[in-house]
Amino acid sequence: MMRMAHWRRAFSPGRVVVLALLTLLTLFTLYPLVWLVLSSLKTPYEMFDSAWRLPEVWQWGNYRTAWAFGLGHYIVNSVIVTSVSVTLILLAGALTAFLLTVVPFRGKALITLFIMGGMVLPPEVSLFPLFRILNMFGLYNTYGAMIVPYVAFGLPFAVFFIGAYMAMVPHDFYEAATLDGAGLLRCFWSIYLPVSLPAVAAVGVIQGMRVWNEFQFALTFIESDSLRTLTIGISTFGDALRVDWAVLMAGLVISVAPVLAAFLATQRHFVGMAQGGVKG
Amino acid sequence: MTGWRARMAPYALLAPMLALVAVFVYLPILANIRFSFYRWSSLSPTWVFVGLANYRRLFADPLFWSSLGNNAIYAVASLAVQVACGLVLAAVLESTLLPRRLSGCFRVALFIPSVLPITAIGLLWQLLYQPAFGLVNAALETVGLGQFVHAWLGEESTALLSVVAVSQWQWTGYIAVLFVVAIRGIPRELYESAEIDGAGLIRQFFSITVPSVRQTTFVLVMITIFGAVKVFDIVWIMTGGGPNNASQTLGTYMYRSAFQTDAVGYGATIAVLMFALSSVFGLLNLWLQRRGE
Repeated sequence: MMRMAHWRRAFSPGRVVVLALLTLLTLFTLYPLVWLVLSSLKTPYEMFDSAWRLPEVWQWGNYRTAWAFGLGHYIVNSVIVTSVSVTLILLAGALTAFLLTVVPFRGKALITLFIMGGMVLPPEVSLFPLFRILNMFGLYNTYGAMIVPYVAFGLPFAVFFIGAYMAMVPHDFYEAATLDGAGLLRCFWSIYLPVSLPAVAAVGVIQGMRVWNEFQFALTFIESDSLRTLTIGISTFGDALRVDWAVLMAGLVISVAPVLAAFLATQRHFVGMAQGGVKG
Repeated sequence: MTGWRARMAPYALLAPMLALVAVFVYLPILANIRFSFYRWSSLSPTWVFVGLANYRRLFADPLFWSSLGNNAIYAVASLAVQVACGLVLAAVLESTLLPRRLSGCFRVALFIPSVLPITAIGLLWQLLYQPAFGLVNAALETVGLGQFVHAWLGEESTALLSVVAVSQWQWTGYIAVLFVVAIRGIPRELYESAEIDGAGLIRQFFSITVPSVRQTTFVLVMITIFGAVKVFDIVWIMTGGGPNNASQTLGTYMYRSAFQTDAVGYGATIAVLMFALSSVFGLLNLWLQRRGE
């Protein structure tokens, strides 16, 4: 029945206008990226020539030059920091969620409030004190200067999200397992963690994106170029290439490509995850 | 396992996580409040307690007020474009005007800017705004609006709005997708019976969609305002707060005070104010939400 209604409206003027507007909006959204790719394949002279023209000879060499700037090194750093942070967020988050939603003990409400409260405290205003605290622990200018705060600020959301999922798991699981004499950790590891994998995976993607793209901590808590992540690396790269525009653009394409590929590969699940992201 | 050990196990397991959150999430907020009562630079080891002097200085500082004004502009623009237009966009994407598959493609395309790294976006738009070869001026000239060509980020009158525009470009699709999720939760029958009553799509939007997604709207308004109070990354990357402080926001001013001009106590005071502002908006939103129910 709905289908029929669809067809009757198929060529209504309203529909044409809406389609035209949406196409325009999509062009406005995506054409800058297309322009970036096209410009990254031009010679410096061509760039000033016309913004719309295609490159005469596609300058793939720009990509080699950009890569030679050490982008690979920044990518390795980003991979290390992101994978360690996300693994820790997921393990610590799932374990905390398990303890707070499944296991009975005293003082639970207070501890839950304390951890969830962390969700509303903005990391942006904590910058300078965090810088001092990291210095005190000797973490400044190490991978840990990024990983530890990422985990601390990612934990409350992970607990919230995974906890909401674990709360739906039938309670008998826990009682049966403890009657069998399984310890807390075993009950967590072999029952509750596998059961809540969908929620854990969603948190993994959300936090992975957040950590990979994080700017302020990575900018402030790292001094050595050898430890910089890709987000900061490209800005140093940008400063170094203020004249070699096409190479800079090639570098930008390289930095955008992995995230874009990851998004397109997982986009089916993104609507639900985006909703989860907001709740954090 | 003895009974005592079993009873203590949850606490022992939770202890490291609690310590982590306490030290890295809660402590900095408290430390900021403390720093804001001192005059202190990282070069001199002595802290001078100055009471409320930093706050008095802040309220008399024209740069603070102009930064706050810039945050306000950022917030208003984001509410108008991301939240208001985002809701309209979501309603269009979910309406019967579009075939399912096509609306799915639009949704993915419009979502893309929100997943890209902020530095790449900032640099990309610096290039797009570049006066000599950037796409923005080229597009204006192509459609015959050559008189509106600017050195967008280099002129005091356009710098802030140019940065604000980038955030709208980046986040409107994201917000729209969140509204899509909310719209999908609305029972179809509401629309069907409205249609039988002869209500057009626009009427349906205002009398069914808008009230039904109120909850989501509240959350998104709050997130948008929080984002506007804290905004730092995109401004710092694109203009650094310049030219001549024209695009300075509380976030960039705080960063500059704490890390560049070595006015640590003053930077902390700005941070406390940012925290207070977002708390006030958070509480206000909660109160409105309670009242609305």
